[in-house]
Amino acid sequence: MEKTNTDQTFEPKIIAFVCNWCTYLGADLAGTNRLEYPANIRIIRLPCTGRIDFNLVIKAFEVGADAVLVSGCHPGDCHYNAGNYHARRRWILFRELLEVLGIETERIHFSWISAAEGAKFQKFVTEIVDKTRALGPYRGYQSITHESEER
Amino acid sequence: MEYQEYQLRETAAKLLEEEKANVVIGYGLSKTGKVVPVFITRPEDAQKLVWNSECHQNLVVFLTRPEVKRLGKPAIVVKPCDARAIVVLANESQIMRHEVYVIGMVCEGVNEDQGRPSSRCAICYGHYPQNVDQVIGEAEDAPKDLSKEERRKTGKYQRIEEIKALPPDERLAYWKREFSRCVRCYACRQSCPLCYCNRCVADKNRPARIPTSASLQGNFAWNILRAFHLAGRCVSCGACSAACPAGIDLNLINLTLANAAEEQFDHLSGTKVGALPLIGTFSESDKEDFIR
Amino acid sequence: MSRIISLDDLRQIAADFIRAGGLAVAPVPFDNDRVFFQYIDEEGAGKIVLSGWLKAANTIKDFFFPRHEKLFSYERIHNDVVLADAPEFGKPQLLFGCRPCEAASLPILDKVFGWDYQDRFYQSRRRMTTVVTVACHKSDDDCFCSSVGGSPENTEGSDAILYNLADGTFEVRPVTERGEQLFEGKTSESTKTGKACPPPPVRFDASKCKTWMDGHFDSPFWNEHALRCVGCGACTYLCPTCHCFDIVDEGSYAKGNRVKNWDFCQSALFTLHASGHNPRPDQGARQRQRLMHKFSIYPDKFGKILCTGCGNCTRHCPTVLGVKPFLEAIEEQED
Repeated sequence: MEKTNTDQTFEPKIIAFVCNWCTYLGADLAGTNRLEYPANIRIIRLPCTGRIDFNLVIKAFEVGADAVLVSGCHPGDCHYNAGNYHARRRWILFRELLEVLGIETERIHFSWISAAEGAKFQKFVTEIVDKTRALGPYRGYQSITHESEER
Repeated sequence: MEYQEYQLRETAAKLLEEEKANVVIGYGLSKTGKVVPVFITRPEDAQKLVWNSECHQNLVVFLTRPEVKRLGKPAIVVKPCDARAIVVLANESQIMRHEVYVIGMVCEGVNEDQGRPSSRCAICYGHYPQNVDQVIGEAEDAPKDLSKEERRKTGKYQRIEEIKALPPDERLAYWKREFSRCVRCYACRQSCPLCYCNRCVADKNRPARIPTSASLQGNFAWNILRAFHLAGRCVSCGACSAACPAGIDLNLINLTLANAAEEQFDHLSGTKVGALPLIGTFSESDKEDFIR
Repeated sequence: MSRIISLDDLRQIAADFIRAGGLAVAPVPFDNDRVFFQYIDEEGAGKIVLSGWLKAANTIKDFFFPRHEKLFSYERIHNDVVLADAPEFGKPQLLFGCRPCEAASLPILDKVFGWDYQDRFYQSRRRMTTVVTVACHKSDDDCFCSSVGGSPENTEGSDAILYNLADGTFEVRPVTERGEQLFEGKTSESTKTGKACPPPPVRFDASKCKTWMDGHFDSPFWNEHALRCVGCGACTYLCPTCHCFDIVDEGSYAKGNRVKNWDFCQSALFTLHASGHNPRPDQGARQRQRLMHKFSIYPDKFGKILCTGCGNCTRHCPTVLGVKPFLEAIEEQED
């Protein structure tokens, strides 16, 4: 798969699954502080990172996401005490599964961003948009969807 | 092996006579001489039980079936790998361990499909059954167990390493070729002793969590879902691979996860009575080098 | 005198068919010891194998009644929903190398898909397809075509039948006009004639089994013998005659497809009502349904058994169940 993007008009689609209590408020803070970040990101707010089912990540790729961001509260700060710890353990194993299946783990980003970290949110989102733009469209998973359509 | 078979029949007849069990779930022969699961309810039928190198099915799957439960208190014949599934079922409160009489067979390895060694034996964790009520066979007859390092050198693990060494698009191409043959018969799920849900998430339609179509997209979603719902639970019995009519080596994916669970968390599913589920618990010191 | 053709020339026919704009389905090897029926390209035609195997690991039904088929698509544009019918199957299709018991399933499926409602999806594929069968050279323990009126050289559903002469050539016996056209001018004269293997022994008396089934709907027999069934769909999905399907909408609020997917009666969900009631509450009832559909319900309606004796249900069953072991057990029943 080509790693460099020659298509100048390519704008990546990135789906961000964020928790209601930390990262969502971090994004909100970035907004109220008028910190600019690329509009390529589509935020989906969930109660907790513990709620972020791995199926949602697969679904995101199915509908054509070029990258996925999963973000929640820092360890120890979970609104429900341990949701982010549960999520962390799950992602450790899930990444192994994706790895062996050949689904590019460099297109799935994880972070802890608190309600006070508007600047971190801006910086991180900008970074992954740039990175994804360099990677180009995620033709790997998209080809699965397209081949399904053809049959 | 013949003596083991004799002992097994004696044991089963005695259990039924003394009413310690109402049904013995074991291996028998079909009319064409193939090994099939049998459900023995009368002491005189205990002679129908067999034990040989073709006994590859994992019978633990029947412990949670309502039709089998109706027969009363079960005794079950297990191989060492199957016995681990019983531990997981008990740990997950699906069976009351004391209500099942577990007959563990010392196993020298089994074949499936006309003498082809079973894929489960390529990743054998032990030939002597653990956590059972009675062992049939002698420990000294069992082949030597492989150490963790030796296991890593066996064909199955090597296959995983080979796949992992490919570039991502070739890895994906490999699984596309495999999953394109999946017809979604769910033989993998139905044969798995740990896929005991009354209603599988794949069968939910309001909303449909994954596509029910046997399209490539649906097949990827299903196989990822199946593998991950067994993460940290799969005991590597290989029933899924043996059951797949399309010959997809599903166990490879499960083994990847079992492998990761062992490497990362020192968790070997089904080896510890009372173990907490791997996913569903956590440690504050879990690694997070991939989280920014 | 007979007409013979070499394997290479047969492969060439498939390649020519593809070059002329058609689709070709043929058995090709997959993972050493299995063959699969697959759509092949011109290059793939060279890989067609017509000997050395008894049964492919999938069924030809997939190419007439696909496991997953789009019926129409929908798209929401402003406040309107726009529907677009799936295009009709419009290419000629050549099906190469199936067994007589598989081809025999086609006339059976024709009745189901063309009885009351005319299923244009099935019918268009059927109309466009030429079926070339290879007579059996051996049978195994699971085969029982002779018990349901078939044989190793049954020509029902075939346009032509090939006999392996075991020297790299095949004897060709066209059955229909279409089969005749496919081989016209491609064969040479020979004195050799092909022979199929002897039919497998008759395993059960189908009409006797039907009578027993009709009179023993509530017999405990069903549950006793279905105990080892794990409830998967391997038997139905690998059966060339099973034809149940489910219609679902897939996609989002904005756009998607209505699709037709295979479904199987061995699942508890197959008959689960919205109320929670399930008329087939246990595996015995589900197995009974499958067997009665094949040997009683369908024959009553269409005068034919809904089974060709291919034995795939037993061959692919994780616990070696399926039609044959069941009917053999029925035959042993005394009352």
